[in-house]
Amino acid sequence: MLRLFASHHGEPTFARGGIHPDEHKELSADHAIEPFVPRSVTVPVSQSLGAPSVPVVKKGDRVVRGQLIASDEAGGVPVHAPVSGIVKSVDRGIHPVLVLDMAITIEAREQEDEPTFQEQPGWETLPREELLERIRVAGVVGLGGATFPTYRKLMLPDDAEVDTLIINGSECEPYLTCDYRLMLEQAEAVVLGAWLIAKIIGVPRCLIGIEDNKADAGAAMTAAIERLALDRSDHPVAMEVVVTQTKYPQGSEKQLIQALTGRLVPQRGLPMQVGIVVQNVATAFACLEAVRNRKPVIERVVTVSGRGIHEPKNLRVPVGTMIQPIIEACGGFDDEVVKVLAGGPMMGRALADLNAPVTKGTSGLLFLTRAETNLDRYQPCIGCGECLDVCPLGLEPNKVSQYVEVGRALETEEFGPLECFECGCCSYSCPSNRPLVQFMQVAKAAYRHEAAKQRTHA
Amino acid sequence: MSMPEPHLYLSTGPHIRRGRTTADIMWLVNLSLAPALLWAVLVFGWPVLGITLSAIAGCALAEHLACKVRGTDSTVYDGSVVCTGLLLAYTLPPGIPLWMPFVGGALGVFFAKTVFGGLGYNIFNVALVGRAIMMATFPVEMTTTWLTPGFGQIGGVDALSGATPLVSLTGGPEAVEAAIVGLPEGMSEGLAFLLGLRPGSVGEVSVLMIVAGAGFLLWQKIIKLTIPLSVLGGALLMSPWSPDPVLYMLSGGLWLGAFFMATDYVTSPSTLKGQIVFGVGIGLLTGMIRNWGGYPEGICYAILLMNTMTPALEEWFRPPRTAPKGTPS
Ligand code: SF4
Ligand code: SF4
Repeated sequence: MLRLFASHHGEPTFARGGIHPDEHKELSADHAIEPFVPRSVTVPVSQSLGAPSVPVVKKGDRVVRGQLIASDEAGGVPVHAPVSGIVKSVDRGIHPVLVLDMAITIEAREQEDEPTFQEQPGWETLPREELLERIRVAGVVGLGGATFPTYRKLMLPDDAEVDTLIINGSECEPYLTCDYRLMLEQAEAVVLGAWLIAKIIGVPRCLIGIEDNKADAGAAMTAAIERLALDRSDHPVAMEVVVTQTKYPQGSEKQLIQALTGRLVPQRGLPMQVGIVVQNVATAFACLEAVRNRKPVIERVVTVSGRGIHEPKNLRVPVGTMIQPIIEACGGFDDEVVKVLAGGPMMGRALADLNAPVTKGTSGLLFLTRAETNLDRYQPCIGCGECLDVCPLGLEPNKVSQYVEVGRALETEEFGPLECFECGCCSYSCPSNRPLVQFMQVAKAAYRHEAAKQRTHA
Repeated sequence: MSMPEPHLYLSTGPHIRRGRTTADIMWLVNLSLAPALLWAVLVFGWPVLGITLSAIAGCALAEHLACKVRGTDSTVYDGSVVCTGLLLAYTLPPGIPLWMPFVGGALGVFFAKTVFGGLGYNIFNVALVGRAIMMATFPVEMTTTWLTPGFGQIGGVDALSGATPLVSLTGGPEAVEAAIVGLPEGMSEGLAFLLGLRPGSVGEVSVLMIVAGAGFLLWQKIIKLTIPLSVLGGALLMSPWSPDPVLYMLSGGLWLGAFFMATDYVTSPSTLKGQIVFGVGIGLLTGMIRNWGGYPEGICYAILLMNTMTPALEEWFRPPRTAPKGTPS
């Protein structure tokens, strides 16, 4: 109510809820992307949501950088050798999301016949099918963290009426700066990647959403758009950077769509239903490399940060790089560290130990000290309504938590657990520190379990 | 390089929190109640401090024992019982014997909070239940131990015989005049009520001090204006039935109730519409009780009555979903 006048110079944002956590981006924002190559990599074969890919190499094989090592014939996405070397094992390893999964370990060795991924002439005029195919075989997935196979997202059904591509440069999670650095350092490549995607889905308009705490990245992108003049290309696309307010979760698809276009994706619906496709900036960059250089996704930029790491950095590392060598490359860490996260502090995953590799979806590795994380106990709901005010979707996590606590998870559907996208605004704000996201997950799981039971009994 | 393996904690996100805890909020509320207490000490003398401490002690003892019996950590320091004690004391006449607030506080916490399961599970405003118990237990002291306000009399304040001035607001203008005694000479009644230079309960006499504290809570975004404005609006709707609408709006704990009691998180609804209905209901009931029932501090009962409706209001008025219903895909 009192916020009416604080509308941040009229910049757009989503209409409801959201939070302003401390950004901590200054820890790593000014560190240019540095390459880092470890002595060996352990690549989980499951790099996307859905079925794992099938290994096509065996122990002792010699591989070159970019060579296929797991295929998508049984689902999943193709996985490629991030470094040249010798396959040491094809075995069960540790995966940050799936915890235990098949992984291929490669010991790095220089190889003479290593591909250099030069630009391939004529890529601009390839037909749509070829563009999609190159993106598929390169194993491109949503690099914002969702890891959904990109070619599947871009293969729209025939009746889809899409008119706008949104490129997500919001990077609203605290600490993370990998997308910011990419936009600053590779603005033209990101813009070209966006144009390619617009061409594939056949839309004339592309909006690039960037929060106002990254105004310089926005300026770099705008300058790149002007230089490239893609509105006069063979597939003209009107491209525009839209600077939004800095507010979490500005980078969530539905919130970004609302901020940039005013359109509301229906509950449990897809952006496509309101004529929009959203892709992250790193994904756009990967699409360009897949098409222009025929370079598969074998590396990614990872923000290594947190008060617990001595030298925060933005590292470009091969997929499968283990956390230990990354820590060494960043000057080691404090013994004050109590949590290590893959991803941001709002939606990232806490790791059980340091024996885990970077995957295509790892945007950050955060080493959080006791002072900057939350290990407090939780208390009963005091009914302050804060969680209701901050939920971007208008859900009622307070109610869900109270029902779940007394074992009535299956009576919570009307309060929205099935729609909850686990942004964490509610838990973050709760003065009683209630783990509301977790309660939402419990309710969700109960419904899933119930649905499975119904199916088996039917 | 060998590295120490740290002890890592696991949990789902988010891994950071805003940092304002329930205890922080309660202590900020307590702080916001300070101006009213300072004023009371100034115009009624030191005994009101005794009353306040006695009420807090009663509340704290009951809470502490409850935690002991339940085998949990004592929640005395979370600020919530102190808040209850303060609010209870603020509704009492400044000349009440010091041991009575202790009893009221202890019984209030026990019956309104402990038996419901502690903070967060109570249905009624705990301080107001304590007050209701005291009204039933000490009816004479609760209605006759008024003091005449005035500066420079911190050592000894004149006792005022007779009922609280507001009782007579039901009896027509002459009765009002007759009842309002102890105002500073030459000061208009409205101004005296606004400043708090009139006989009344410990913490509710000065509308100005209450508004100052409330302003702090609004600034800190601990309360919103929805409930207080609804309460005041509802009360205003009933003002035509009052013999003196100005004094009616400035007295009887209306402002203390509107900003500090009706806004109690646990016992009030949390959605906009629910809060409006809740607040207006309190205002209307307050007016009814005071103008027709002749019971001066009607807001206490009005809040307790509307507390009973909170679960229903939570059920009826739900936050609106941001997005329209869709076909699941
Ligand atoms: S985690 Fe779910 S319930 Fe909580 S704020 Fe986000 S969408 Fe709403
Ligand atoms: S924020 Fe926490 S305490 Fe407040 S209503 Fe929500 S769950 Fe309850």
